[in-house]
Amino acid sequence: MRRTPAARLRFAAIVLLVATFYAASWQLAQVSPSKLWTGLPKMASWARKAWPPATDELPVLLRRAAETVAMAAIGTTAAALLALPVCALAARNVTPSLAVYYPVRWFLNALRGIDSFVFALLFVAAVGLGPFAGVLGVALHTWGSTAKLWAEAIENVPPGPLEAAAATGASRVKVLGFALLPDVAPSMVSVVLFWWEFNVRASTVLGVVGAGGIGQELKNSMDLLDFPRLLTIILIILAMVTVIDHLSQALRGRLE
Amino acid sequence: MSTVLRAEGVVKTYGRDLRAVAGVSLSVAPGEFVAVLGPSGAGKTTLFRCLTGLTRPDAGAVLLHGRDLCRLERGELRRARREIALIFQQFNLIRRLTAQQNVLAGRMATVATWRVLARHFPAADRTLALRCLERVGMLERAEARADQLSGGQQQRVAIARALAQEAAVILADEPVASLDPESAATVLDTLRSVAAAGVAVIASLHQVHLARAYADRVVALRDGRVLHDVPVAELDTRALEQIYGRSGDAA
Repeated sequence: MRRTPAARLRFAAIVLLVATFYAASWQLAQVSPSKLWTGLPKMASWARKAWPPATDELPVLLRRAAETVAMAAIGTTAAALLALPVCALAARNVTPSLAVYYPVRWFLNALRGIDSFVFALLFVAAVGLGPFAGVLGVALHTWGSTAKLWAEAIENVPPGPLEAAAATGASRVKVLGFALLPDVAPSMVSVVLFWWEFNVRASTVLGVVGAGGIGQELKNSMDLLDFPRLLTIILIILAMVTVIDHLSQALRGRLE
Repeated sequence: MSTVLRAEGVVKTYGRDLRAVAGVSLSVAPGEFVAVLGPSGAGKTTLFRCLTGLTRPDAGAVLLHGRDLCRLERGELRRARREIALIFQQFNLIRRLTAQQNVLAGRMATVATWRVLARHFPAADRTLALRCLERVGMLERAEARADQLSGGQQQRVAIARALAQEAAVILADEPVASLDPESAATVLDTLRSVAAAGVAVIASLHQVHLARAYADRVVALRDGRVLHDVPVAELDTRALEQIYGRSGDAA
């Protein structure tokens, strides 16, 4: 099949557009392979200096790692509790009115749009350095994300059972709690586990802005060019993230 | 004979001039099984929605124990609807809950909110739920999850839910349309026995022989109007031709 001239012209225009986009991005991102090439020996020498990893501060670093997991756990749980009443308002099929639905959706999108890193930056200024600022950052961003995914789970529920429950003359809260919740609970739990896992990974960098956890030690070591300590921290992060990923996956696998 | 539910000249129009229901009157008494017959598009579903108060008719009245549902406020309507239990073509059970929990859904309206949310119903309600399951022959499957039951079993659980609601009327919209003949017979037997115990039952059916076998009275709809409202014995071939048109397009 031959292409028509119009289709060919359009194809050429698309190729040109994509090429222009990448050329501009290459410039803006200041990509420089030569810099990477000259930097490589430096990194190689760091890697040599890093071995063997430092073990003298292991108890402190493990405590910091635990701090990161705790931040993610408290932040995610708080987000889930905040999302519970909101998700029903943001689900098209059960929201009491579109006048509620749209503002709630906008609000949740705003929370989702701002990363927990950015929130943490603001909260460090408000409540001071430390993991609590990280907890607040994680909680706000995850609130928006969790509520939106839960609302989508609710929208996928078949309407019949809800209609049948409402037809018994029961109040809205009873209908949602009794007829809707059992249906969506497994996917809701799965979403929370996913965000907990994600937040453990995300929280490792929150320390960089002073919001506590293992990230703070990471930044200190980097600033002091203390490579053996840096290597220890990276290995701890890898181990921590791997364990949490597997745990979360195993738990999600057990949900039917 | 006393009446539980009565429709008087119910009219419901959709859009410009699509008259789904064009002036229907019918009534049902305690212990009576009324079958509503008619080809698809005759207005059965719209009529049922009006009878439950889900849809407000444009004209006419729906009287439950003599009170007009169309004139009730939201809260009052919700209370009134406890008296009317619905059975659906697709059963509409909560699939991840057990049969007994689904029957307990019929008790939700009268039980404290925290108990409903905690799924912790009073002992009296739990016993009532088991008794209702026994009446529909589903006691042995009380602990089975709804999505593990066959269609016919699910529909019997739905009838048990209606019984637990202690409703005066059961409205069943095509209760056996999704079932195989054997399950359909069991479900209609169950509805028949529920009616015999004093509940008023209105069921829309689209198979004439089922109406003949189970109903006391047949209300035939065509083009949104009542064509016949007769005891089942008086439903002859000529009447059926009028309902479904001449050339045997009866279902």
